[in-house]
Amino acid sequence: MGKGSPSYTDEEFVAAIRHGDDRALAQLYRLHLPMVLHYVLQNSGTEDEAKDVYQEGVMVFYEKVREGSLELSCQIKTYLYAVCRRLWLKRLAEKTRFGGRLDDHEPYLETGAEADLALAEERDKRFATMSEALELVGEPCRSLLEGFYLLDKSMQQLTAEFGYTNADNAKNQKYKCLVRLKKLFFAHYKEEESF
Amino acid sequence: MKTEADYYALFEAYRTGGLTAPERADLERRLAADPNFAQNFADFTQLTSTLHGYGERLATRRKLHAIQADMDAEQAVRLDGETLETGHPTMPQLYISPVERKLREFWGAHRATAMVAASVAVMAVFATLLGLEWWRAAQQQPSLYGYTVLRREVERIKRTQKAMNRAINQIDGGKTEIETNPGKFSGTGFALTADGYLVTSYHVIQGADSLLIESRDRQRYRAEPVFTDVAHDLAILRIKDQKFNGFGRLPYSFKRGTADLGEKVFTLGYPREDVVFGEGSLSARSGFEGDTAFYQISIPVNPGNSGGPLLDDRGNLIGIISGRQMDMQSAAFATKSSYLMRLVDSLSAAGTAQPYNMPRTNQMSGTTRRQQIRKLQDYVFVVKVYE
Repeated sequence: MGKGSPSYTDEEFVAAIRHGDDRALAQLYRLHLPMVLHYVLQNSGTEDEAKDVYQEGVMVFYEKVREGSLELSCQIKTYLYAVCRRLWLKRLAEKTRFGGRLDDHEPYLETGAEADLALAEERDKRFATMSEALELVGEPCRSLLEGFYLLDKSMQQLTAEFGYTNADNAKNQKYKCLVRLKKLFFAHYKEEESF
Repeated sequence: MKTEADYYALFEAYRTGGLTAPERADLERRLAADPNFAQNFADFTQLTSTLHGYGERLATRRKLHAIQADMDAEQAVRLDGETLETGHPTMPQLYISPVERKLREFWGAHRATAMVAASVAVMAVFATLLGLEWWRAAQQQPSLYGYTVLRREVERIKRTQKAMNRAINQIDGGKTEIETNPGKFSGTGFALTADGYLVTSYHVIQGADSLLIESRDRQRYRAEPVFTDVAHDLAILRIKDQKFNGFGRLPYSFKRGTADLGEKVFTLGYPREDVVFGEGSLSARSGFEGDTAFYQISIPVNPGNSGGPLLDDRGNLIGIISGRQMDMQSAAFATKSSYLMRLVDSLSAAGTAQPYNMPRTNQMSGTTRRQQIRKLQDYVFVVKVYE
């Protein structure tokens, strides 16, 4: 609802977000927040919980779009509604015994959101493991890896930052760190899988 | 021998396209040939892609947080009411006080629980009420449907009225009357012999701890049950007071046979504090549900009439008032006197301590109804029952 921002159709939204247009993302975010807010508030949630759930939902949508694997069989609004509904249902089930029943004010359509959510969950688990592994890998490896992979800094930048004599040294250090990280990551990941 | 780190350098170079064509061909050949090496490569790929994905996820989260923060900030500004220059119509803001919001949240969270609790409470209340009502009904009518025995429950209101009267008497005359327990139930009874035997209905004295006989002139005697006949609803009492010295000669006699249909009959009884006369005729020679031990009579009777004497025109006692049918107009029932006589005969034959000297002559025959009643009323008593 920002001033002078163009209004998009669903297809334009998807295309713009795929190309990394943050303004389109912001616009989309603003557009559908009230719906989810209302829904969660109606079903014994608070405003903060609603925002949390909505961000999770938008994240699922956003990542699907960025991957280019989104097959939208309905409106974005419906898709988001379905995703957020599922997410809220899960939270409620964790929160209270009476979470099973929700009153819907929009028909729950077959959106493919269920399958997408299962994938997103799988990914969430992987990311959580990664975050744990990064915590465990120790300094300076953690900062080095985060700098290179998470913050997209160049090798030259990192060399300067960490005080290595040249880029090759830094690179070698990075690979060693990567090997350590790999051990930690797969140890945890396999462990979780075996549950 | 290369370390794993060296391989990682190689893999990254391969990924970013930094290898020469022969090196690349060599690597691809090794990947195809050596499954361990291929696994190593797959692990590397998964690790780096996860790292990249994780990076993006964090970036996206930051973006969304920023958007949300922007919106919150805008809303805060709008709430402050300073900048309302947006061309877009804003939704009307409903202001909710913190207390109300807390209440709403509470209601939202506990609505289901509250409703379940409320419905359980309502159900419990109704179940209790219905159960009590049912239980009381079961207590009140243990046996016969539609048949009501006529023993009188002495109501509270009477007690309070009496207490009031006493209070007034005290104020007026300063004379204190002896405090009396009015008893829990009352019925009517009448003299069987001149030396202290009485007859009443069994149900009047049912469950009694002690019995008190009260005559019309407020003379009180203690009595005890001598014999009861549940089937015919009869009870024979005897006065056990020392100071009692006989009723005097009874004016009525007992009829051994059955009376005729259409016979004019009357009764005296104590449905109230005072003696009440009731008149009617004998309407059937069987009682409730064809019970031949009873007559049906058309005298309006009330609780308290039970045990009263039923006499015919010539002053013969022909029955003892027992009960009435609720769903029939003025249908009362009385035990036939022949059953009473049979009972007395069998008791005499068994040889009890005191013989039954039944009256043989009838002084009421041929007199007017008013004279008959005047003679009779001294032999009809209130039977008070204490539990």
